[in-house]
Amino acid sequence: GRQPRVEILDAKTREKLCFLDKVEPQATIAEIKNLFTKTHPQWYPARQSLRLDPKGKSLKDEDVLQKLPVGTTATLYFRDLGAQISWVTVFLTEYAGPLFIYLLFYFRVPFIYGRKYDFTSSRHTVVHLACICHSFHYIKRLLETLFVHRFSHGTMPLRNIFKNCTYYWGFAAWMAYYINHPLYTPPTYGAQQVKLALAIFVICQLGNFSIHMALRDLRPAGSKTRKIPYPTRNPFTWLFLLVSCPNYTYEVGSWIGFAIMTQCLPVALFSLVGFTQMTIWAKGKHRSYLKEFRDYPPLRMPIIPFLL
Amino acid sequence: MAAAAAIAASKGNGGGGGRAGAGEASSSRRKKGPGPLTTAYLVIYNVVMTAGWLVIAVGLVRAYLAKGSYHSLYYSIEKPLKFFQTGALLEILHCAIGIVPSSVVLTSIQVMSRVFLIWAVTHSVKEVQSEDSVLLFVIAWTITEIIRYSFYTFSLLNHLPYLIKWARYTLFIVLYPMGVSGELLTIYAALPFVRQAGLYSISLPNKYNFSFDYYAFLILIMISYIPLFPQLYFHMIHQRRKILSHTEEHKKFE
Repeated sequence: GRQPRVEILDAKTREKLCFLDKVEPQATIAEIKNLFTKTHPQWYPARQSLRLDPKGKSLKDEDVLQKLPVGTTATLYFRDLGAQISWVTVFLTEYAGPLFIYLLFYFRVPFIYGRKYDFTSSRHTVVHLACICHSFHYIKRLLETLFVHRFSHGTMPLRNIFKNCTYYWGFAAWMAYYINHPLYTPPTYGAQQVKLALAIFVICQLGNFSIHMALRDLRPAGSKTRKIPYPTRNPFTWLFLLVSCPNYTYEVGSWIGFAIMTQCLPVALFSLVGFTQMTIWAKGKHRSYLKEFRDYPPLRMPIIPFLL
Repeated sequence: MAAAAAIAASKGNGGGGGRAGAGEASSSRRKKGPGPLTTAYLVIYNVVMTAGWLVIAVGLVRAYLAKGSYHSLYYSIEKPLKFFQTGALLEILHCAIGIVPSSVVLTSIQVMSRVFLIWAVTHSVKEVQSEDSVLLFVIAWTITEIIRYSFYTFSLLNHLPYLIKWARYTLFIVLYPMGVSGELLTIYAALPFVRQAGLYSISLPNKYNFSFDYYAFLILIMISYIPLFPQLYFHMIHQRRKILSHTEEHKKFE
């Protein structure tokens, strides 16, 4: 019979890396990656990018060999994506850090503030409230990572964990330092301001969680299908009528709430940076929705209703 | 760093042959260049900048001859220095709108570091304006920029004299360390005055629950030179080898 053969070349040097002799026509790229790993064990499947053209797009794991535009000998080009780490690991590390770090400042662990303040407690209610909110936020994120989110990619490059952790941990330490400082100044408009901010925070946390659940239900376990998200019976999801990524909208809202609650400039700066990044992601997601779905609702904006 | 970054990272302001920049291989590929109107604008921009830095150079020489010493020459070229160095902010815009193929991030770092030194250090801390270290970096920047902007001008017009290319990729060997020394010494000289005046600093308690110590910030800036400067310097050395030997080979076949 005419069983396809696969040769794998290095995308940059065109060096022949591997020749696979009798490959099943129904074989998927994932299976080919596994075969390739056997001859080159240092390149586990997650770090392989195989493509038909050295400069082209990566083939997907689900693609079937027979359905690709190749002859009896398929030539695939290989690029090493570098050491990979699972998304779950990255998320857990990024989020556990701020949770723990904030508490170090809250409990005024030694060497942060002056010695006379070690293990003392703030006399401002808002400081205790802020600790609860901040901790709740990151515990929620950890639980969502473990039980709610369905990731479409298994891994990301290893260097991302250093970059991401520096960002999250760094900002957490910076804001926690001021909020829990002995010289902290409570909000100008007192309890009114704190109550309003807390309401915003809670509503946005609920909203964000609702969106995460709605997105989860959109995609069956183990699959990588993509569908247009629509509002459900949960009123928090009605924001889908106006934006593509309401989870980001609610996330920004939560941090604005927290900034108003603590009246702390570093929190406001963190919100601004986060908003910038999430806007970039939302615009990208919005663009890919538009490209993939002809019937995508035209009223929707990426992240801010009617505006952005 | 401002001096170093300006030479190493900037590959832009138009032009074709033999440009070197951070990470860009020198290529003789015909790239789809900017349109005629854009090219005209960029040529004008680069000519004006070349002229501006020449004005600063001439100003320095005249002031030296008039005073008879090289101390406190800053005051004679303060205004054109501020104007033309700040004008370089336009280069960030050029990258952002795509008329120049350099990285926005890299260009931003290089221009902002120069602008920082001019305004946030030299202008803000009047006491350092009479320091000799200021002259050190001003001379380094002036020579570098005259060569750099004329390099871009000629590249845009597709008539790059080898001398300019040689100068750009050789003089940095001395100008870099000179500029960096001038910059570091100036920042160092500014420190006690910053501390004394509490310049640009805010302390707790305040209603924004924020603090900033400009003195500590300047020290961090100085420390950042340690990892950054060698990288930029050796990148330029590497580029020099690649670009100047490449040209030599071409000349052989003429």
